[in-house]
Amino acid sequence: MMRLAVRNLFQNRMRLLISVGGVALALMLILSLDAIVSWIEQRVAAYIEASGADVWVSQEGVRNLHMASSSLPADRVDEVAAVPGVESVTPILYVTNVVAMGEERAIAYIIGLPEGAQAGGPWNLVAGEVDPGPEGAVIDQGIAEKSGIGLGDHVEILGRAFEVVGLSGGTSTFTNSIAFIRGQDFSDLRANPGVVSFVLVRVEGGASATEVATRIEAEVEGVTAQTREAFAAQERQVVRDMSTDLLTIMNSVGFLIGLAVMGLTVYTSTLLRRGEHGVLKALGAQNRDLYLSVGLQALVSVGLGLAVGLAFTLLLGAVVPRLVSNLGLRVSLPSVGKAAIASVVFAVAAALLPIRQIHRLDPAMVFRGK
Amino acid sequence: MSDATLRMSEVTKRYGTGATEVTAVRGVSLAIEPGEVVLIMGPSGSGKTTLLLMLGALLRPTEGTIHLNGERISDLSEGRLPGIRLHEFGFIFQDFNLLSALTALENVALVASLAGRKNGEARRKAQDLLSQLGLEARLHFLPEKLSGGEKQRVAIARALVNDPAILFADEPTANLDSKIGRDIMRLLRSIAKEQGRSVVIVSHDQRIKDIADRVLWLEDGEFKEMTTMAVDPVCGMSVVKEGAAATLEQYGVLYHFCSRGCRAEFLNELMD
Repeated sequence: MMRLAVRNLFQNRMRLLISVGGVALALMLILSLDAIVSWIEQRVAAYIEASGADVWVSQEGVRNLHMASSSLPADRVDEVAAVPGVESVTPILYVTNVVAMGEERAIAYIIGLPEGAQAGGPWNLVAGEVDPGPEGAVIDQGIAEKSGIGLGDHVEILGRAFEVVGLSGGTSTFTNSIAFIRGQDFSDLRANPGVVSFVLVRVEGGASATEVATRIEAEVEGVTAQTREAFAAQERQVVRDMSTDLLTIMNSVGFLIGLAVMGLTVYTSTLLRRGEHGVLKALGAQNRDLYLSVGLQALVSVGLGLAVGLAFTLLLGAVVPRLVSNLGLRVSLPSVGKAAIASVVFAVAAALLPIRQIHRLDPAMVFRGK
Repeated sequence: MSDATLRMSEVTKRYGTGATEVTAVRGVSLAIEPGEVVLIMGPSGSGKTTLLLMLGALLRPTEGTIHLNGERISDLSEGRLPGIRLHEFGFIFQDFNLLSALTALENVALVASLAGRKNGEARRKAQDLLSQLGLEARLHFLPEKLSGGEKQRVAIARALVNDPAILFADEPTANLDSKIGRDIMRLLRSIAKEQGRSVVIVSHDQRIKDIADRVLWLEDGEFKEMTTMAVDPVCGMSVVKEGAAATLEQYGVLYHFCSRGCRAEFLNELMD
């Protein structure tokens, strides 16, 4: 029956193309969305991951960067530095605002760095200086290119003009980028001296970041201390929570498209082969033999659809970043697993539809010229 | 293959109920012995196909019984009938009914696989049968590439592949030209006589009478007494007098023809 299923499938190439194409399209939609969100999750946490800090200390209760605000009295910095196991501390200021480049305005995380910061600065400098210096800024290269901005040009941050002294890579997503300025400039513009947003802690060699974080929370009042990994995980979770509804809707759309295409093609294919199924039943084939044939056709179709959908998603992943600087796709194994499960559901559901048709087929029809 | 005897006793088949009820077959009894070629003839709508369907375990009688080797198959559950058809019966159709996506070899081997033969064994058996039927050069051809006669020989190989005791053929020569039709008839006869299989044929083709051991005339769902057969004076075919397509009385002799064409040709020759 395997041979019959495959031959039936490949006999009508146009129907096969529609069926495989439809499934591939549906799975590509599911895979691409997952890959985009996965890429954003990775990018969103990229600053935290690359900050060089082992522990992030924030205002009590603040557990992530995105859409959050943290404010710590400046004297907490010395208190944190005094905790055993802490090698160095870097206080940073942080706010979500915009970088204005002529007519262009791009949402950005504005990071205020102290002079000679040991953590929290740009980690992938493409051109210029790492240290923004007074009235200088390091901005994302992709955002700068998009607006025709280069080194020496001026951008507006927090209402003041800054000279672009450095361009960094890997510091943007399609929602926002990161701009680095001096902490002093940040404080002056916010008119809020004596306050920092986060304290980035490096622990001594051999010390456990988890233990140091626990110790900081115990010894310093009004702070939350998390390891870099825990802080990044929280950041990713925020993005995941924000995109869950969108993902659910789009995945459902993709799922329904795939289901409809597969169901329709398998159903019409079975309908068109009604006569041949009747002949097989007359010759002595059991219903289960025919179910197997239809099921195999559906399974092979969705298998091909999955392969094509995955190939096109990987191709998109290679092409999109070249066309759009602040967007990418990261195809993950769990995402492929999800698409594979969706494929199996497509196949089973599509094969179930014609079963009633086959079950009720009267083999005597073959002799009556139907 | 078993030396099967198929017996039908007082079988009636009715379709519909009440005012729309139609009796297709009424009180028919029939026994088919091993190696026998039985031809069932009759006008259209006489119940021939219904009778064949019941004999072939494709349709249950409304009344009466059908026994195969003593087993009452007319009462078997739906789940057991495909097995009977697969192992005990072979079917040959008017339209050949080969699976269009499979080659000649695969069409035959598939039915052997359905009966539980392993793939290699099924293909070997199919190849042997097709070669015996002169199709060794056509094994890997799709049905669309085969002539009508070749298709019917593939269908015969498919019917034989599980070594059935009884072959049922529904108008096996209807879509074939006369020479090929005659070859198929001879083939069916040799299968019956050399292999001891019973062959039940339903047909309008008068020529098949020549190879039949028994000719039964079914009309209005009942077997009727066969009167003498006549020979078409133009084409030489045997014609059942009751079923002759045309007749002509000339100088006190009643002629029977297989077709109106033969009658017209006969008249033309008389005028010449």
